[in-house]
Amino acid sequence: MTKSMNNKQPAFVESRRTFLKGTAYSVAGATLAAGVFRTIADTPAVAESKFTPTPKTLSFYPPLEQWDSFTELDGHDWKRGGTLRNGVANSDNPNGIKATEYMLVPLICSNCEAACGLTGWVDIGTYKQSQDPKDLKVRKYMGNPLHPASRGRNCAKGYAVQSQMYDPDRIPFPLKRAPGSKRGEGKWVRTTWDEAMQTIGKKMHDTLKSGDEISKKSIMYHVGRPNESGFGHRVLYSMGVDGHNSHSNVCSAGARQGLTHWTGDDRPSPDWANSKLIFLQSSHAADAGHFFQQHAGFIADARKKGAKLVVMDPRMSNSAGMADLWVPIWPGTEAALYLYLVNRIVNEKDPKTGKDYIDHDFMKNWINWDVLIKDKEYLAFMVSQNYISRLPLGETYEDFVKLLQEMYAPYTLEFAAKECRVDAATLSKLFDMFIEGGDKVTTYFWRAGTIGNRGGWMNVRTAVLALALRGCYTGDVGNNGCYGFHEIFVNAKGDAATEAGQKPEKVDVWNELLFPPDFPLSTNEPSYLLPHLLADEEWQKKWISKGLNVPQKLAVYIPRMYNPVWINPDGFRWIEVLKREDKMELTFNLSPTWSETNWYCDYILPTGLAGERHDQHSEATKPARWLGFRQPVLRVALEKMGWKPTDPARATLEAHMKAGLGEVWEEIEFWANMFVHHVDPDGSLGVKKHWASKEDPGKPVTIPEWYQAVFDHVHHLKAAASKDPKYANSKYPNYEMMRDMGAWLEEDNIFKPQERELKNENGVIESMEMKFDANTLTVEPNGVVKAKLVGSEDVKAMGLVVGDKVVEGFKSSSRKMEFFANWMKDWKWPEYAIPIYPTTKEQREKMVHIVSQIHHDHMQKENDFALNPIFRLPYNIHTRSVNSKHLMEISQNHNPIWIATSDAKRLNIKRGDAIKVTIADTVSGLESGYFIAMAVPTEGILPGTLACSHHAGRWKLQNAIEIPGFKEKLGVMGMGTPLYEMTMDEKEGTLEPKQGIDAGLMERRSSWQFKEYNRDIDNIWWDGLSGSWQNAVAPTHPDPISGAHAWHQKVSIELAGTEHKIGDIYVNYDNNMKVYQAWRDKLARPLDSTNTTRRPKELKRPVWALTDKAWSVNITD
Amino acid sequence: MKIEDIENRIALYGLISRLMMMEVDKTFLESIHSDEAILEMFPNYRDWSRHQELSMDMLKEKYYDVDFANLFLMHLVPYESFYTREDQMIESGGDNPVVSLYNALDFRAELDKVRVVSPDHIGVELEFMFMLCQALKKAYEAEDSEGIKEILEIQKGFLKDHLLEWAPMFLINMKKESQTPLYHDGAELVLEFLLSDYEYVTKNLPTAVETNAFTF
Repeated sequence: MTKSMNNKQPAFVESRRTFLKGTAYSVAGATLAAGVFRTIADTPAVAESKFTPTPKTLSFYPPLEQWDSFTELDGHDWKRGGTLRNGVANSDNPNGIKATEYMLVPLICSNCEAACGLTGWVDIGTYKQSQDPKDLKVRKYMGNPLHPASRGRNCAKGYAVQSQMYDPDRIPFPLKRAPGSKRGEGKWVRTTWDEAMQTIGKKMHDTLKSGDEISKKSIMYHVGRPNESGFGHRVLYSMGVDGHNSHSNVCSAGARQGLTHWTGDDRPSPDWANSKLIFLQSSHAADAGHFFQQHAGFIADARKKGAKLVVMDPRMSNSAGMADLWVPIWPGTEAALYLYLVNRIVNEKDPKTGKDYIDHDFMKNWINWDVLIKDKEYLAFMVSQNYISRLPLGETYEDFVKLLQEMYAPYTLEFAAKECRVDAATLSKLFDMFIEGGDKVTTYFWRAGTIGNRGGWMNVRTAVLALALRGCYTGDVGNNGCYGFHEIFVNAKGDAATEAGQKPEKVDVWNELLFPPDFPLSTNEPSYLLPHLLADEEWQKKWISKGLNVPQKLAVYIPRMYNPVWINPDGFRWIEVLKREDKMELTFNLSPTWSETNWYCDYILPTGLAGERHDQHSEATKPARWLGFRQPVLRVALEKMGWKPTDPARATLEAHMKAGLGEVWEEIEFWANMFVHHVDPDGSLGVKKHWASKEDPGKPVTIPEWYQAVFDHVHHLKAAASKDPKYANSKYPNYEMMRDMGAWLEEDNIFKPQERELKNENGVIESMEMKFDANTLTVEPNGVVKAKLVGSEDVKAMGLVVGDKVVEGFKSSSRKMEFFANWMKDWKWPEYAIPIYPTTKEQREKMVHIVSQIHHDHMQKENDFALNPIFRLPYNIHTRSVNSKHLMEISQNHNPIWIATSDAKRLNIKRGDAIKVTIADTVSGLESGYFIAMAVPTEGILPGTLACSHHAGRWKLQNAIEIPGFKEKLGVMGMGTPLYEMTMDEKEGTLEPKQGIDAGLMERRSSWQFKEYNRDIDNIWWDGLSGSWQNAVAPTHPDPISGAHAWHQKVSIELAGTEHKIGDIYVNYDNNMKVYQAWRDKLARPLDSTNTTRRPKELKRPVWALTDKAWSVNITD
Repeated sequence: MKIEDIENRIALYGLISRLMMMEVDKTFLESIHSDEAILEMFPNYRDWSRHQELSMDMLKEKYYDVDFANLFLMHLVPYESFYTREDQMIESGGDNPVVSLYNALDFRAELDKVRVVSPDHIGVELEFMFMLCQALKKAYEAEDSEGIKEILEIQKGFLKDHLLEWAPMFLINMKKESQTPLYHDGAELVLEFLLSDYEYVTKNLPTAVETNAFTF
């Protein structure tokens, strides 16, 4: 109110009036009162009840001992006045508060990679009364308080598991491409799991039967985010096939490459909660992943204790918005910024103490400086490259420090500010904060910085140097450790439950479609190039003529919960190859939901979502080792209430059918059945024994058998289960304990594991989860201790001599952190064997392999921009959230193109304008096409850059399909995908939106699946047209070293013409093929006759052991 | 104590409980305008120039409802437990401080009739006073001096232990935050009336207790 008004009135107390004097009020209070109250003459007697009306704290969870039966009041309880007034509903008191009897079944979320704990609340009360299993419903998914890292908490995606489970458009039974129709025609028939297994099993059998090299490269299992710890690997290798493909090279391969050079371990593991400075690169850890909710929680814990947060990202992400310092950096120049920090760390002293900023103790003991300083040839090479002006005088640590001082001196504040386009004051402040953080600075490298840019891996090489110099990479409290020390990877280790009783053999072939000879250092499989490799027959012929046995087709291609068409760059190329039956003879997707890829497959086999499958899953989200157990909650509930399956090896499928979820299965049971009954029924291929039960010979292994054996590898878990009186007498104590708890903390507070002293116990030494024969120790001159693996002739590095002890060390071949990756010399990349970044335009041209394809050098015209397409939206997860109405609702209209207000003004672009974004390649100079998107000018982005997440823009070509003989239509991604029209002619492709989600759904609102849960379909208001399928336009950009796809694109923008609308795309995918070839031919350094192995031994060969023969290579020039 | 006093209390508690409970409607606004003495209690509202410019419906839609949402749903928290609990949580369950009192007197708050989440909402507490005043009137008409005494004691206790413990803080905030003269004057009216009513109850109670005699 205005002051004048207040002034008219005296203060409250003084003005108190005598309300009851004077005339009587004519107003009748009774007619005005809202009438909230009534007297209770007619309310029922209140029975005593056990319910606590309100829990004492918000973090209330039922105690574990009540999980098999926990009764909770209906959500409307509070509104109706509680049980104190109404009593609990029963036959005598029908109007009482409803109380539901639940069984809480623990599981692990599967929407992102974090593996947070969940509990599925299965309504068992209704079932107990009706005895109809179709009344078993999961009413909600909540957190699991026993999970050591998610701590009972979940993000929106976790709670959305329920809406995914009861999505009206989920695939209810196996589908098969209609006989006589072509792939992509959209004609489907209903089939059975048994028919699918017979047909596919026979094809796999026939492929493997020949036993030749090509047969072992002809079955490919393509895993999206695995969300389990190793089972998928075993599927392939138990057949002796090199065919496990992953998604890592479109996700994290840049960061993994840089880290592997340093430590031999490919991921970091920060102790956020105890750090003083959280220094994030890109939006990831606190925003949307990697390990989003758990990491965000630990970061919040640290900030509560006073830690500072710095976010380096050209886009003001959610985390940047709440950070103490936002560093909007030009994408791809991060290495320059890190080396600016390095320069000041090595060349300055702390003005307060006069001491060096360098942590000499750590650097001297744990960095391989000694290898560099003795390598005169390489030092001379450094001089020739002008990295240093002269050779070091001696070979001491001090000489190494002097080398660092000279080498990094050019990375001045002035240079960094200009190169990174960050103002000098911000950089200075960042340095001060970095120093104040002491040895407690934590970070994570995932996403835009490391996967968006060519050379993204070098930004990790330089970052770790800055951290190591300050003692922040020791794995100590509050700083950064290595991933491998903090996870439990045992999901494939159920061997003891099988007839074979042991791990499948090493694989004896090398698949060029997985690790092509052009990119021998590729971190993981450059899987986004699969269609290019299959389509490029010239490439195949070239390498065949050089002596390699390159496969020219696949017999069976199996995407597993993966949508490569939509998720990868150059999507039309994927469609083109998927449609070709001469390139992919049989395809099937193990997919719980519809996807763009499914549309072009031969079979869609519905495997389960988070609460419908078994997996062991562990991630390094804190300095501890924990694991989670994912479970099909309806099956577990039924079994706990006494139900028994007809076939114990198909229990999950039977349970889901019985409970009305549909013919939804899970991979473990599926593959065991496939191999035992269909791929190798007579055991002649040697595969069956790895999947047949030891307990019940000839039958597929069952879940309890498998997990009893798997968890035997987790020592404390095994010990606890065998001691617990509840499980000790059970046949499967490990399995049953985990079935009840869902999460396990094996070891907590794992700090500085590299300093752990190795112990000789009865002639066996355990290191890095391997057992070594203590009688075979040898010590190398550099202190590395090697020994034979127990029961094998393989000799491996086991540890490192430090003083008078043998300690575990890092996972690198020197067991130290490798500043100098000397093996890079032998692999034709000597100039990048140490952390480096060019400082002049001339150097940038020469060192093009580590300079971003969207460096500002390339921005020539006034409408040229660097586009960042890779940031997650916190409530979407690639292709996994389209089936959740809750997530779709909250993500609508959240994905425009971010453009700086100054740029928008300059180009006369206003909020909401449709703009045409044309992609052009900076290596080949070719244009790829354009997409139309909505512009939103904002101060939250660095001028000259744009951002538009590629996590939106789903499409479908039909709203629903008809299945012959089935009266209902099957909806296709109705909650989150608009209807589009597509054209493609082997060279050019287009996509145009035709109908929004809301209109599409209104046409078929009486969806038949899960009707009760989807009564609110009428409320869907969103049309979903806020994203474009920009991935289809984007050409592939294979990094010549890491093999990662460098996602960022150079684009030019203009206002869209009236002929265009948001969502339109046009692609010249013939040009995109040429872009790929240009990157390969101009930048990569392929294998040649000098190479004797397929890749450096220093880089892991994901994901299974291969024989020396497979590793070896002989290229004929 | 006179019957007119009780009737006036009923009228005022009815009016203010309604004002604080949900958005105003035409009936409510017309009843304010129908009584000069009531209108007198909303001086800024009475003199507001917008009455000449806009219809009652438009004023409701453009101003009053917006202000209500701001004051009662978004920016302020009109619940006793928010002000009295250390953790500032709204106690919506059976442990709410006023529920046992309502229950003991056989009153039931039907929250689903209005858009409030817990029975210690200011509007509900004011309506509880209104219900007690109606009971008081019945006791008065039945010449039940014991009943009168008992009800007055309850009213005094409820004002002292509940409404006056927290409502003044809310009402002062509400007055400051309000964007319309209706809610500005309303906040002031409720605060003044509660203080005055407490004085009234306190003054009449000893008489009732000591003399056990009223002039009926």
